[in-house]
Amino acid sequence: MEALIEKLKEQIIKQLNLEDITPADINEEDSLFGEGLGLDSIDALELIVLLEKEYGIRIENPKDGQKIFFSIKTMAEFIQEHQKK
Amino acid sequence: MMLAPTYIDGSGAVVPQPTVNQDRFLEEILEYNERFLQVVSPVYKDYIDVKLLRRMSKIVKMSIVSARVAMQQAGVDQVDAIMTGTGMGCQIDTEKFLNAMIENGENLLTPTSFIHSTHNTMGGQIALMLGNKNHNLTYVHRTFSFESALLDAMMMIAEKEAQKVLVGGIDEITDESWLIKTQIDYYKKHACKNSEVYNNLQPGALSGEGSAFFVLSADRSEKTYAQLKGVSTLYKPRSNKELEDFIKRFLVTNEFGLSDIDLVIMGNNGDPVFDRVYEDLANGLLKTIPTGRFKHLCGEYDTASSFALWIASGILRHQHVPSTISQHPFKGRTPKNILIYNHFRNINHSLILVSTPDVS
Repeated sequence: MEALIEKLKEQIIKQLNLEDITPADINEEDSLFGEGLGLDSIDALELIVLLEKEYGIRIENPKDGQKIFFSIKTMAEFIQEHQKK
Repeated sequence: MMLAPTYIDGSGAVVPQPTVNQDRFLEEILEYNERFLQVVSPVYKDYIDVKLLRRMSKIVKMSIVSARVAMQQAGVDQVDAIMTGTGMGCQIDTEKFLNAMIENGENLLTPTSFIHSTHNTMGGQIALMLGNKNHNLTYVHRTFSFESALLDAMMMIAEKEAQKVLVGGIDEITDESWLIKTQIDYYKKHACKNSEVYNNLQPGALSGEGSAFFVLSADRSEKTYAQLKGVSTLYKPRSNKELEDFIKRFLVTNEFGLSDIDLVIMGNNGDPVFDRVYEDLANGLLKTIPTGRFKHLCGEYDTASSFALWIASGILRHQHVPSTISQHPFKGRTPKNILIYNHFRNINHSLILVSTPDVS
């Protein structure tokens, strides 16, 4: 799980071109949107593509996005759960 | 057609020469020996919020910086209209999006590069940054793009639809677009020293990129340092005579004679075939007028005439012709009236006339 979290942090920084942010700056439990990392709706679309491209996981119900993309930890848990299937 | 007085209150440029935060006006130039010239990047973070910066490609960043510099110089924080001209638009993001389409079999496309791949991205991003919901138009008309934006801005001012207009010309170069245009001899295939470009015999022009923005105003103020007198375009003249007649007609329309012009800034780009058009004029109709050239500073791009206007208005502001643009030391009178003449491959020809502001 820890390795997955670190990998996700790096992928998100690269995909979203988060200049001046390192994996160490991101707390895995902080919210990705709003107060935390400050991501927005365009970033949400980028994250959906990232999940599908890198992990082969497609989000069928867009309403689930809010829960899945709450933090790095929730994303990692979702990936782990779906990769077992 | 003569238009109402249009004043220049501010200008900003990001080009392959240091122009941002410079006390000196093109006194020294950067020498390159490259296939194409690329802009000197200012510290973008000084002008753009880091959160927004991460999504922006080079062309958007350089547009915003040059627009901000122009607005700072003019002392305005809002305008009544934003007019942009670009020949090729956001090439980097377009290529990124198209390459992703190929690599991913038209699946899994990310939104950012798509959103930023349209030609009006620059005008849109400037408007977002300013919170400006006024008239916003982008002209995409090859090497007439900037001239079209400029003419529209002048007409808006003439028709009293706007008091202050932000107008600019922007284009960026990429490896891919450079490569395509070398195949058809538009651009030089091999590296070339920019300082020697006018004597380089390789076919095509030395390619480049840049952005220049201006704040135009209906009223003269303490910020005003130049006045736009006119802009005109000519498509595919059939002969040198037609071109000469176009220039004469333009001057007469604006109530100028050849002897009133103190300097002509010409758009020679190092293309051995098409630079002859400039040489014929310099040795013919315009032979009594000192000439300057500017594309060794920025390279050729569709909206390069916007940088020529930045130079011309800078000359009027500084009351000085930098030696870096003139072929011979400038010995004429301090310029009051400057004509910019540009053409691309003898197809799109344009004239811009800029003067010291009239005493009102």
